[in-house]
Amino acid sequence: MEEKGRIGIPKALMFYRYFPLWKIFFEELGWRVIVSNGLGKRGRLIYFEDSCLPMKLLVTHSMDLKDRADHLFLPRLVSLHRSYIMCPKFRGAPDIVRLATEGTVSILDETIDLRMREHSMLQSFLRTGKRLGADEKEGKRAFQKAERLFTNFQKGWEDRINQLPTRQFFEIDIPTPLPPPPSPSPVKGGGELMESPSFLDVKPVEDGCRGEKPLFRVAFVGHPYNLFDTDVNKDVLSFAKSLGMRIITPEGLSEKEIDAQVSDLSKEIYWSSGREIVGSLFHFLSGGVDGVVFLTSFKCGIDALLQEFVRRRLKVRGGSSIPLLILSLDEHSGREGLTTRLEAFRDVMEERKRSNA
Amino acid sequence: MKVTFPHLGTMHIFCKAIAETSGIPYIVPPETSRKTFTLGVQHSNECICLPFKIILGNFIEALKMGADTIVMVGSGPPCRLGLYDLVQKVILEDMGLRYRWLTIPPRLTWQAIWKNYEETKELKKELSWKNILLFPYGLRMGWKKMMACEALEKLAMKVRPREVKKGETQRQLKKALSWVDEARSLRTLNEGLERGRVLIQETEQDPYRTPLKIAIVGELYTVMDPHINRGVEQKLGELGAEVTRTSWFSTHILRSLRKNKADQASERIRFFEASKAYLGYDVGAECNLSIGEAILRSQEGYDGVVHLMPFACMPETTASGILTRVGKDWDIPILTLILDEQEIEGRIQTLLEAFVEMLQWKRKAA
Repeated sequence: MEEKGRIGIPKALMFYRYFPLWKIFFEELGWRVIVSNGLGKRGRLIYFEDSCLPMKLLVTHSMDLKDRADHLFLPRLVSLHRSYIMCPKFRGAPDIVRLATEGTVSILDETIDLRMREHSMLQSFLRTGKRLGADEKEGKRAFQKAERLFTNFQKGWEDRINQLPTRQFFEIDIPTPLPPPPSPSPVKGGGELMESPSFLDVKPVEDGCRGEKPLFRVAFVGHPYNLFDTDVNKDVLSFAKSLGMRIITPEGLSEKEIDAQVSDLSKEIYWSSGREIVGSLFHFLSGGVDGVVFLTSFKCGIDALLQEFVRRRLKVRGGSSIPLLILSLDEHSGREGLTTRLEAFRDVMEERKRSNA
Repeated sequence: MKVTFPHLGTMHIFCKAIAETSGIPYIVPPETSRKTFTLGVQHSNECICLPFKIILGNFIEALKMGADTIVMVGSGPPCRLGLYDLVQKVILEDMGLRYRWLTIPPRLTWQAIWKNYEETKELKKELSWKNILLFPYGLRMGWKKMMACEALEKLAMKVRPREVKKGETQRQLKKALSWVDEARSLRTLNEGLERGRVLIQETEQDPYRTPLKIAIVGELYTVMDPHINRGVEQKLGELGAEVTRTSWFSTHILRSLRKNKADQASERIRFFEASKAYLGYDVGAECNLSIGEAILRSQEGYDGVVHLMPFACMPETTASGILTRVGKDWDIPILTLILDEQEIEGRIQTLLEAFVEMLQWKRKAA
């Protein structure tokens, strides 16, 4: 099919959950999807507003795309759940980007609010399609295909994140590797570990865990963009993998499991991401993993409030024996600080395992 | 039973009136001080917004003084205010403080009424029929006192920039507010209000001054409470600016009761409409209104806008990003003050002095 033009999708925020869906939709309609480059080593963050790092990254990535793309895709994410909402900053995000780019690029900012039928995912995408000149039939077909493939893509997420380098997580063309065979044959930890030799020097391999079967099951909890955006977390996931951790994320939990943890609160947490974080923290801290790491962005309002809640509630309820590490990230956090803390955390888990054995 | 409530501007005056008139024992938390800040900060996370910390500090101080029932206004999505109670409850529990919690429903919905019923079930046993009978009268008294405080404050905002002796208006206002506070009946309240009005107007004034006009916009808690904003309103007034703000208890209460027909409420709708040029959606809390008000104030010939927000406030962070552009587009200087628990009173004074001086130059140049 003839290429109609280019849709730019900034690599920020909910990109880190929905990108495959978005990409297939636009490609089905005959548009080419381009994504922004990461910050990289020399990348400069654009400080348009004084918000959390993920929001600043959204502006930075959009600025990167504005001259290359015909349209920027920045849906106004009000709610991604039938009864809970997103952080209020998401509501103004397209407007912030519009001001930052000074109106030089067209922005596709249809509202997605799953609490309302007229703003359902499908309706919103149909409207987006319409703005791109696709009729309802084409739009519907493209969305249904995208949705089907996306549901498929989400299966096997745990194997995907444990066996692929971080930058390939959301590339739908790369198939999810099969789960590692139970035999003691060494499991390749993914190319990226080898990419930076400094990792190999960080700690001598005394116990020979690297490259072998992971020793710890560690839950990484947080907003998807904190977990998977290497510009936010300095690729803490691949470092964790190199330390012999098998990574588990809240993506693998069902809504029921999360609800079970947060349904008895005196007040309902009305942010869907906050619910997911609190629910999965309580879930993982009640057992089944060796450790829990909570990644949060400095200045994230939701995380700041709920982190205090989780900590206090655990204390009131008599605590959990599973170690919890809270890593607060911003544009100044260096890789060294993170690696030191993660290594120390691994030692804690190791000690706990040894004393329990 | 001893009820307590957080501090917010002159709120303690009318909350006290409600409790006193209906004969319910109460404890007013000590005036927000450095100690309150410290307590609040010590027991919360650094990125939680300042109102949370101050309110928590108020509660801790009041509970330690012997209060046992916390009355707190409820709220809803999308801002964090709606979940204050969830987190504050567990913090107080963790600190080993005993308390009961009573939420004032933000909107009269069935769910809110049910929750209120659940919470008051126990409390009602401790109340006598006399308390319950007197309660509507208490509410009326509280409302009247609230309106009286607002009238006095509004008057003081007008007089302050014209005062000859710096700080005199503030002293008179304090005296007048104490008369309102001490009134025990509607008659003495009216008398107190009248006397207060006269007292503030009697402040020696210079009638030849043409003060600058500055609008204060932003998150309501920081706009309304002088302890949190370190007296921005008073400071601007004493620097020679006539200040206006649209955040008052009456506006917010009438708004939640859906009595939007009042003038003040329709002003909010006007602000909201004006913000649509920059914001395509209701971000929540006061975000859109801050932007809309700044735009409209520039059209109304105001000299400047002061935008107040707590550090890391979610909706106002968006607003502050957009306001930088609004200021350029509409040629109105906007000063955003981000408030947190640090000792920033001196810094604020300097910033405001520079801001006012800049506005004066701008006016002269025009």
